[in-house]
Amino acid sequence: MSDHDHLDDTHAPETQDSGSQALSEALHSSFVIVQVAMVALVFIILGLGVFRVHPGEKAVVLHFGRPLGEGREMLKSPGSLYWSYPYPIDEVVRIPIAEIQQVTSSVGWYAMTHQEEVAFDSLGVEPPAAGSLNPRDGYVFTADRNIIHTRATVSYHIEDPLTAIFHFASGTNQEFNLAGVSNAVQNAANNALVSTAARYNVDDILTRDPAGFQAAVERRINELVESEQLGVVIDPGQCQVRSEAPRQLKDIFAEVTKARQKRETLISDALGQQKRILSEAGANASSITNAAESARVRYVTAIESDAEAFTKLLPQYETNPKLFCELELTKTMSVVLTNVGEKKILPTRAGGKSVELRLMLNNEPPQPKSAANP
Amino acid sequence: MNKKVITVAIALVLLGLFVVLLFGYQVRQSEAVVVSTFLKPTDTVTNAGPHFKWPWPIQSLNRFDQRVQTFEDKFSENYLADHSILLASVYVGWRISDPQAFLPKFRGGSTAAAQIQLENMLRSAKLAVIGGHNLGDFVNADPSQLKFNDIEKEIQESVEKELAKNNYGISIEFLGIKRIGLPENVTQSVFERMKAERNQYITEAQYQGEAEATKIKAAADRVAADVIANAEADATRIEGAGVAEAAKTLSVFQANPDLAVFQLELDALKNSMNQKTTVFFDETKPPFDVFRRFPTGPSSGTK
Repeated sequence: MSDHDHLDDTHAPETQDSGSQALSEALHSSFVIVQVAMVALVFIILGLGVFRVHPGEKAVVLHFGRPLGEGREMLKSPGSLYWSYPYPIDEVVRIPIAEIQQVTSSVGWYAMTHQEEVAFDSLGVEPPAAGSLNPRDGYVFTADRNIIHTRATVSYHIEDPLTAIFHFASGTNQEFNLAGVSNAVQNAANNALVSTAARYNVDDILTRDPAGFQAAVERRINELVESEQLGVVIDPGQCQVRSEAPRQLKDIFAEVTKARQKRETLISDALGQQKRILSEAGANASSITNAAESARVRYVTAIESDAEAFTKLLPQYETNPKLFCELELTKTMSVVLTNVGEKKILPTRAGGKSVELRLMLNNEPPQPKSAANP
Repeated sequence: MNKKVITVAIALVLLGLFVVLLFGYQVRQSEAVVVSTFLKPTDTVTNAGPHFKWPWPIQSLNRFDQRVQTFEDKFSENYLADHSILLASVYVGWRISDPQAFLPKFRGGSTAAAQIQLENMLRSAKLAVIGGHNLGDFVNADPSQLKFNDIEKEIQESVEKELAKNNYGISIEFLGIKRIGLPENVTQSVFERMKAERNQYITEAQYQGEAEATKIKAAADRVAADVIANAEADATRIEGAGVAEAAKTLSVFQANPDLAVFQLELDALKNSMNQKTTVFFDETKPPFDVFRRFPTGPSSGTK
């Protein structure tokens, strides 16, 4: 081995060490980068798991596809921050949901464009009606085979979120929302209107018993919601039913209402008169019996006083009947002549004969005819 | 040493992820998964959560939505047993109840294809069931005559029978009549009839109002007359009782009937003369004959 070789031998390990060292340093720094990246990744993943529920919606966390929580606790509400594992471990399902849901039936009302609906709701202006109803126009058929328009607005709340959200599809997509159950409630409302109207007469629905019809519709909706297990509860008394006669017959229905009101007025007036007649009769009857009672008392009292006077006068009469009679007659005549309105003394003629007096005893003579008295 | 542990841990995590992705799958709530082994359906998983399978091509998965799907058929004409025409539409809630049976029946397990099949069945069932009923079975004020619920049940049973016969793996969760109606030209006739009925009601209301009012007033007059008659009868009874009571005193007058009669005559005279009475007297009769007794006194013409 030469010196040169020796030198080469002594330098070679140094070259190798510095290479290894550089590689080692490079690996070390790469490893540090990977570590930092891993830590950062962990933080990013943890950070991405934080979520917030927006107003007007609720959220359900599916853990490996299964909802976390039971009953209403399953629903995460707005106002807090939540955390879940990243997908595919957890999946946050957001559902547009209000505390109170509302749905309106879709079968019993005539077809309206959006503008017509706005005009109807705000101003009560009905769209013009054709002579007949085409299949686009909704209506119900009543028990007496008449046609009316009716619609129900139902308020409900979610009682069993698992059922309401996860048991009803809103189409062929895999989304979770309340459109499916809302559609089912709307169908229940539609069916309730149609089936209830089928056993009610038109006048019962419109005038005689609209509250009864509304209650029957609500009962039917509740039956269907329960039997179809929709997981919702119809809020009691929150089923509002509005019914109207067809637009084509509005005037004639109004005429009937007017005629019936007039009938009620006539009957009411007659009842008022009945009351008055009976009241007057009662008063007259009281008056008659009171008068009779007074007459009775008066008569009995008079007889008794006459008897008393008779008993007192009898001794005087028996003493001199003629004188007594003349005295009594004269006393009486003085009273009579004081009371009477007119007294006429007929003179006797020279021969002692009485004056002949002629009196007209007929009634008042009729008035002569005139323009004022035709 | 420490570095090696970390490296191994990372490797294990990556390996674990690979194994999970290869062997694991997830079933979502409301979902059913049919597991096929060598393309033959061997298992159905409906429990939501993580599950394991052999990797493809040994096992493959088909996913099905088990939620209730709702649809409604067309508002179509149906001939009734009484030869009238009724338009009806029905809504149906259905779901895949047996995914293994459902999968081979419809290409790729398509719910859209299943719905078309179901609509055809529903159309046939609806025509057959509705055609066997009269209009009075659909609308009737008499609850015993109304068969609305029975008709819905009959349609559902008919569809269910057909589904079971063909083993479609579908179940009907609910079915109801959404709407009934009449052909457009018939609605016009109904309006005309309703109008005639309303006119009749107007006449009836007018007649009833007057008749009822007359009846009420006549009844009131009759009752009033009865009340007065009863009062007069009572008055007669009261007066009779007075006479009977007074009769007890009459025996007093038996002592001298002439005086009694004279007294009564004087009373009658007093009572019968009042302000409206005009009395004519002959001056020869007392007490006016007193004038004649004077030698010179007033004679004729005195008023």
